[in-house]
Amino acid sequence: MNKIESPAESRKMLDKIMTDLTRSITKKDELTRFWFFILIMFIIVGVWGWIIQIKTGLGVTGMRDYVSWGMYIANFVFFVAVSLIGFLISSALALLKISWAKPISRVAEQVAIAAVALAGIIIVMDMGRPDRFLNVFLHGRFASPIIWDVTVVTTYLTISVLLFYLPLIPDLALMRDHMADKLPKWKIKLYTILALGWKGNPEQYKIIYHSMRILMLLIIPVGLSIHTVTSWLFASTLRSGWDTTILGPYFVAGAFVAGTAAVIIVMFVYRVRYRLKDYFEDLHFDYMGKLLVFVCLVYLYFNINEYLVPGYKMKLGEGIHLRELFVGNYSVMFWFVQLTGLVLPIVLLLFRYFRKPFPIMVISFVVLVASWLKRYIIVIPTLEHPFLPVQNVPDHFKHYSPTSTEIMITIFSFVSAMLIITILAKLFPVITMWEYAEEKGIDKKYFSEKP
Amino acid sequence: MKLKSLKITAIMIFLSLAVSAQDWIVPDDQKNVANPLPYNLENVKKGKELFLKNCKSCHGDPGKNNVLPLVPPPVDITSEKMQKNTEGEIFYKITHGRGAMPQFGATISDDDRWRIVNYIQNFNPARQPMLVNAPATKAKLLASVNEQEKKVEIFAEYLAADGYIKLPNAEITISAKKNFGNIEIGKVRTGENGRAIFTIPETLIGDEEGYVNIVVALDETFIADVVTLDKAKVGQLKQVQKLIRPGVLWSTNENIQIWLLISYICVTGAAWLTIGYVAFQLFRIKKSSKTESSNIS
Repeated sequence: MNKIESPAESRKMLDKIMTDLTRSITKKDELTRFWFFILIMFIIVGVWGWIIQIKTGLGVTGMRDYVSWGMYIANFVFFVAVSLIGFLISSALALLKISWAKPISRVAEQVAIAAVALAGIIIVMDMGRPDRFLNVFLHGRFASPIIWDVTVVTTYLTISVLLFYLPLIPDLALMRDHMADKLPKWKIKLYTILALGWKGNPEQYKIIYHSMRILMLLIIPVGLSIHTVTSWLFASTLRSGWDTTILGPYFVAGAFVAGTAAVIIVMFVYRVRYRLKDYFEDLHFDYMGKLLVFVCLVYLYFNINEYLVPGYKMKLGEGIHLRELFVGNYSVMFWFVQLTGLVLPIVLLLFRYFRKPFPIMVISFVVLVASWLKRYIIVIPTLEHPFLPVQNVPDHFKHYSPTSTEIMITIFSFVSAMLIITILAKLFPVITMWEYAEEKGIDKKYFSEKP
Repeated sequence: MKLKSLKITAIMIFLSLAVSAQDWIVPDDQKNVANPLPYNLENVKKGKELFLKNCKSCHGDPGKNNVLPLVPPPVDITSEKMQKNTEGEIFYKITHGRGAMPQFGATISDDDRWRIVNYIQNFNPARQPMLVNAPATKAKLLASVNEQEKKVEIFAEYLAADGYIKLPNAEITISAKKNFGNIEIGKVRTGENGRAIFTIPETLIGDEEGYVNIVVALDETFIADVVTLDKAKVGQLKQVQKLIRPGVLWSTNENIQIWLLISYICVTGAAWLTIGYVAFQLFRIKKSSKTESSNIS
């Protein structure tokens, strides 16, 4: 790292960083409006679907007596999984002092906040009587993993928001001080309030570093529990396919796969859309690709455990379940997920070419889709094979297929997550400016200079 | 159904061939046995109940002549053929039966058979009928529970020509409302002042907390709203077996494993205390920026 000596050079450099990194905020064009328009249209359709569901009841979904957890719960597990990336990149890698991960940490937090917020909303949307939501807190059983899950999701959301907000404060002060002429008044006002009157004195930096460190340490157990507890929702039953002790780490490993893929996609979009080639460098994609290979390998290891051991024993219930996955109704989905979503990315990403921004973005997209389908085949096939015989019921009770209302609401959740990420990108820089500037050798004293 | 009744008829024809042509002769000494039970409303009513249970299936509804087509045919109890029997004759025939008519001597007690006789007498032109198909009277029923003494206090009125007046000597049925209908606890008659007090039996079982929903009703000769006394604490506590073993992890909040609850509270509490501490740091940032600005000025 070459320290920049001259004040003029420092100021110029800082100015360039600020211009580049606030492009997402200042940029206003037709594409932005169109993007918002598309998102909001889909959200309106989803809300409309939800209103139908509330009015008519959960009968409008494909869920019946046997498959009582459908696409919503699969989607919930997916979002919880994606949110875990916030913990991996902005805490675990930061604590390990892996410096290339620093510029990515805010993207990771954006993805984490959007995903965990949506996970909460999806659960409410899965309820037949969402007006009774508060009963979960009023009459919850402390011995129930559902209560643990509600607790840990709220805790994780709060920590993620704080972890997003704390390093943002100096950035907010920078924008408040330097960009008053470039931005609308309400934004400056918002920054002024959120900046908490930041002056940039050493004591304040000390508080930020101190608090960040505490949160990074705190988010490790909370992050691990969020997905472990989600896995316990399944693993604490006797159902074939869920009744296994490795489900906790299996879920956590799968979560890192989904989250890493999601972050790579968002990074790529920012890089292209906001011309941040010099910030999300090829090097970052290369490292993220290596990270993806690593987490995929861990996940593959758990997958082998998850299927080989029960497959060897072929207990009656497990046997039915495994046959359904391997050669039965779900075989196409299952092999797509395992081969295209897990094995193929591992092989491809070993080559440097595929770790270049565009190829890795495409691969990540496939991995993300496969991750979603993976949750689907974790949740639904098991429910289709209860231990008690299924008798004298209509045919649509035996096999689950999502209805259009369910698909509408599920699309709503994706679009809402994208909207949250977009709004965060439109309000706040996508990379921590002051940290980045400091990394480039610009002294902190230039940050608090007023133009 | 038709086929079935035809079959029954055919069988009955064979069974009764021997007797069909003859009249039913009752020994003379039995013929004039006097009815030991008085002919009054209570006995007639009880007789009606017994008739509905044991006799109606063949003898049909009184006066409607809808008897079962057997050979020899059963007789409608209001018919002349029935009513020309003496009380002793009817009693004998119920007791011993003949052909398709079963003998009830072993299944219905002497007194109850006499009550059935009393009911049949109700339709005898020589008797003053006890049961009259008069139009139902409008009535009002008030009831309250005395939980200390476990008594239900009832007051009944009926609509006379000049407004409601108290209803004496009316039968009130007290029941407990259960999940699948009402179960009768007992009956009580109103006194001259239209009032009645019903003592709830000690053996009555309520819900887990001893609550019973008591239903107070007049008989069908009155049109009156049924009084339901919800949640009267007059019953014994229902003993509910605890279905969850005490040792299991998953459980209700009452049965929760104490270490689990403590762990939950401690872990959640620690996490939120830490979050609270960090949130407090935000105030410190704010405070710190204020102190510096005051130093400058």
